[in-house]
Amino acid sequence: MEDQILALTEQLAAVTNAAQVTNTMFAETYYFLSIPLMVIIHAGFLLYEMGQTRVKNVLSSGIKNLLAFAFTIVTFYLFGWWFYWALPTFPYDLASGAGYMGISGIEYANAIALPWGDSAQYMGPNMGDHASGVFWGAFALFAATTASIASGALIERIQTVGFVICAIVLGSFAWVVAAAWGWHADGWLVTEFGFHDFGAAGLVHAVAGFFALGILINLGPRVGKFNADGSANRIVGHNIPLTVTGLMLIIVGFFGFLMACIILPGEGWSWYADGGTTIYGTPMTLSALAFNIVLAASGGIIGAWIVTKDPFWMMSGCLAGIIATASGLDVYFGSHVIIIATVAGMIIKPCANWLEGFGIDDAVGAVTIHGTIGVFGVVVLGIFGSGIPGLGAFAPEGTVAISIWGQFVGAVVMFLLGFVPGYIVSWLVHKAGMLRVPEAVQIKGLDPVKVPAQAYPEAMISSETEA
Amino acid sequence: MGYFTDNFTTLYADGAWIDMGMYIGAGSSAPGWYTLIAAVMMIVILVVGNKDEQDSYDKHK
Repeated sequence: MEDQILALTEQLAAVTNAAQVTNTMFAETYYFLSIPLMVIIHAGFLLYEMGQTRVKNVLSSGIKNLLAFAFTIVTFYLFGWWFYWALPTFPYDLASGAGYMGISGIEYANAIALPWGDSAQYMGPNMGDHASGVFWGAFALFAATTASIASGALIERIQTVGFVICAIVLGSFAWVVAAAWGWHADGWLVTEFGFHDFGAAGLVHAVAGFFALGILINLGPRVGKFNADGSANRIVGHNIPLTVTGLMLIIVGFFGFLMACIILPGEGWSWYADGGTTIYGTPMTLSALAFNIVLAASGGIIGAWIVTKDPFWMMSGCLAGIIATASGLDVYFGSHVIIIATVAGMIIKPCANWLEGFGIDDAVGAVTIHGTIGVFGVVVLGIFGSGIPGLGAFAPEGTVAISIWGQFVGAVVMFLLGFVPGYIVSWLVHKAGMLRVPEAVQIKGLDPVKVPAQAYPEAMISSETEA
Repeated sequence: MGYFTDNFTTLYADGAWIDMGMYIGAGSSAPGWYTLIAAVMMIVILVVGNKDEQDSYDKHK
């Protein structure tokens, strides 16, 4: 009898170990596959931006977008990842010490997120670590997404290196601070205000959108955008089908983005052994995402169609629908999502027109779609989600719940974390003479001046360039 | 510049690989130097890229 018990115990241990190995490999694969899905976001932004560009500037826009991706990834490795782990409690704790969960603060960040010294073992291949690389990769793609969001607004008149400097500040600092404060279980916006932003409407989209606004103010409009009396001309991109297809690809990539926002169970870093959660430790499933993402996308298209009848704005409405509901994709009911997303789709064009009335030339509507709708989504969750617990079962007693006030404070913080760094860094770049392309070059076209290739060598020649 | 082990047997214990960097230079100061060189390369590339860009504009002003 004892021998049988011993044998069964050994078998149970072996099965348990095998199950754990399977779980670990699944979790690693899950986050790993979210990374190429998010790369599709960038393929989408590339097409979107190039399609919205006139023929004479197509390749320059592509180069700018590719470099934003590349430099943001590199700098996120060099220092961006460190900010995420170091700053959740700052400035509530001026020393930036560890929060309640013990996975934050400068000391912790120094131990896991610097590509040198002892922490280097978690910033490269590691025999026993199946988590650091895939989490870093997913976050790096979030970072690159912020840079791509801003990129489209600035096409046809921003210098390449000047833009890259702005993109580095956005992707490896500004949004990272927002994530540390509002997308980390120790973040002060979460613990003190109950801020909830599951799908990053505020901390990715609003931050990137208003960062772009800060740049746009210093950058100025494209040559020919505004008349002497202040009225605006419509500058039409060379390939709307390319733009619309790009927008659809962004939606495909959003599935990867949003699945990476779920914390899987059963690992040392998980909130629970047997259930998925949000980054806040509150319940979450992929099924919830399946319901709400596709409904949000559809609602946004429908809302934009009834107001604009324009495929560009319809696909922008698709994005806006997802962004408007992103903060609460874990708690909204499907029909609720349809309402919010449809309203978001309906308001984007009037909001973009309103912004244009101030002389702001946002070439793709990024400030509105990501900035305004991002803030809208954060605040809307406060209206409908007040009272929902802000953290999961392992949270400290007295944890603050979601509230209108907390979401409003979060929205203001996201606006400031985007706009202020965007304005300051672009002002500095402008003073260094590296922001705005000279007018003569804008008129001639950026591609003929600085790109040793042609987008359409045989089929299409820009009449403006020839002139 | 060498690898940190010539035998993986001792690095597999209790049914799993130990928690340790497995890259060239693990456990030494090499990662820090690689990081420094990479950072300097990025800065130099931006400086040179900006100079090329300004030269392009100057030719067409």
